[in-house]
Amino acid sequence: MVRALSSAASGMTAQQMNVDNIANNLANANTVGFKARRVQFQDLLYQTMVQPGAAAGSQSYVPSGLQLGLGTKPVSNEIIFSQGSPQSTGNPLDMTIMGNGFFQIRRTTGETAYTRSGEFHLDNNGNIVTAGGDMLDPQMTIPSDAQSVTIAQDGTVSVSLPGQTATQVIGQIQLANFPNPAGLNGLGSNLYVPTDASGSATVGVPGGTEGLGSIQQGYLEQSNVSVVEEFINLIVSQRAYEANSKVVTAADQMQQQTNNMRAT
Amino acid sequence: MDPLTITAAAGMRSRLESLDLLANNLSNTSAPGFKADREQFSLYLSEETAEAQDDGTGVAQPFSPVIESHWTDTSQGELRLTGNSGDLALSGKGYFQVNGEDGPLFTRDGRFTITKGGELLTENGYEFSTTDGKSIQVDPSLPVTVDPDGTVRQQGLLVGRLKMVDWSAETASQKQGGGTFQLDSKSLQGLLDSTAQVRQGYQEQSNLSPAEASVRLIETLRQFESLTKAAQIGEDMSRHSVEDVARVAG
Repeated sequence: MVRALSSAASGMTAQQMNVDNIANNLANANTVGFKARRVQFQDLLYQTMVQPGAAAGSQSYVPSGLQLGLGTKPVSNEIIFSQGSPQSTGNPLDMTIMGNGFFQIRRTTGETAYTRSGEFHLDNNGNIVTAGGDMLDPQMTIPSDAQSVTIAQDGTVSVSLPGQTATQVIGQIQLANFPNPAGLNGLGSNLYVPTDASGSATVGVPGGTEGLGSIQQGYLEQSNVSVVEEFINLIVSQRAYEANSKVVTAADQMQQQTNNMRAT
Repeated sequence: MDPLTITAAAGMRSRLESLDLLANNLSNTSAPGFKADREQFSLYLSEETAEAQDDGTGVAQPFSPVIESHWTDTSQGELRLTGNSGDLALSGKGYFQVNGEDGPLFTRDGRFTITKGGELLTENGYEFSTTDGKSIQVDPSLPVTVDPDGTVRQQGLLVGRLKMVDWSAETASQKQGGGTFQLDSKSLQGLLDSTAQVRQGYQEQSNLSPAEASVRLIETLRQFESLTKAAQIGEDMSRHSVEDVARVAG
């Protein structure tokens, strides 16, 4: 009986966590470069009441035994790195990666973080920075008198200066990728840092053979949250929660009936 | 206690265990590759009763229903498209073999991650077994594709082949948590090749239907209620025989 209650409780906790995750995905449905997360569950250990393969008689044995499971547990909420749809903004410093790469961001702490969000700005020195003020790595400085900035698909950044007909190349953006991007650690503000699970970064230029993807200037990558899918998950999760709570009620009723049996 | 109460009490106990099984099934509806457990009843004959019956001397006592064992419903769960290349699902009968801490384990939850050393690991950190017994070594910077027959490729080049096995219905398998099954050493000898197909980018959902679970829940509850009533009647009858039948007239 306690088993049924605790199994159901573990199911309810798990579904609660699922709803928390769905809520976060939905809240970030309009966050540029946001990647949805998905909670994963697994069954807990089993309590063996009758050992499978134990002798049931002189000639026969128990074919499957009796094992009572003890519930479920959330094991991970991994990040789903599917491509979000690019939206045209016309802003020259907005970029979308069409492929699997990440922009490299040098944080003020000195460490390198990675992001899919290509929403960049200029700081007071003309450096390309994120909305949070962290610098793009490798560093790109746009001269203050530049008339226009062009970013090619291979990441080459060039500017046109007054009085010059040819554009001037100031650098090439590099992208990074990981063996297992789902294992990246999210820092918030669209930034990720590598872990042992993700593996270390492979850096290369966009458009190459490494599958890092190419850069599209003037577009922003929308979040890959599918609102419809999240709502379906929400319904499924809510119903699963309800089913588990019914088990709690049933266990409680059975216990109550036992307690109400009249004693002589 | 009288036979009626004994039988009813045993029935109540078995209904409690049914609820335990059901609770575990329901709590795992979101675990990929989860296979629901079903109960199997048998009528339990006490040793004395069995002997008395054999001799033809005794009176057959009522049987007590107990859950003797459960069986795991291995039917296919629905495949859900996730689009994540690290998700593998099996379509058909069979299991992935993984290298557990003490011997092989079997699972239908084929989610894998690639370590920075290039090993292919399950969600629990177990390595996938291969058909040639060697461990799979992939280049972590390249995407991994898995063919329906379990062949792992990188950029079209063969890296290894995942071992997929199956076993006969009589084989005793034991759930180990984390979506894994374990077999005893005897059953490990008689493993069959699986005919299942690997589907990359899919996850197999738990094979418990919520409608069935709800019906079973009500059923268990109502049966328990009836058994409580039966136990009560048995108790009432005992009380009557003690209080009323034995009363001296006048």
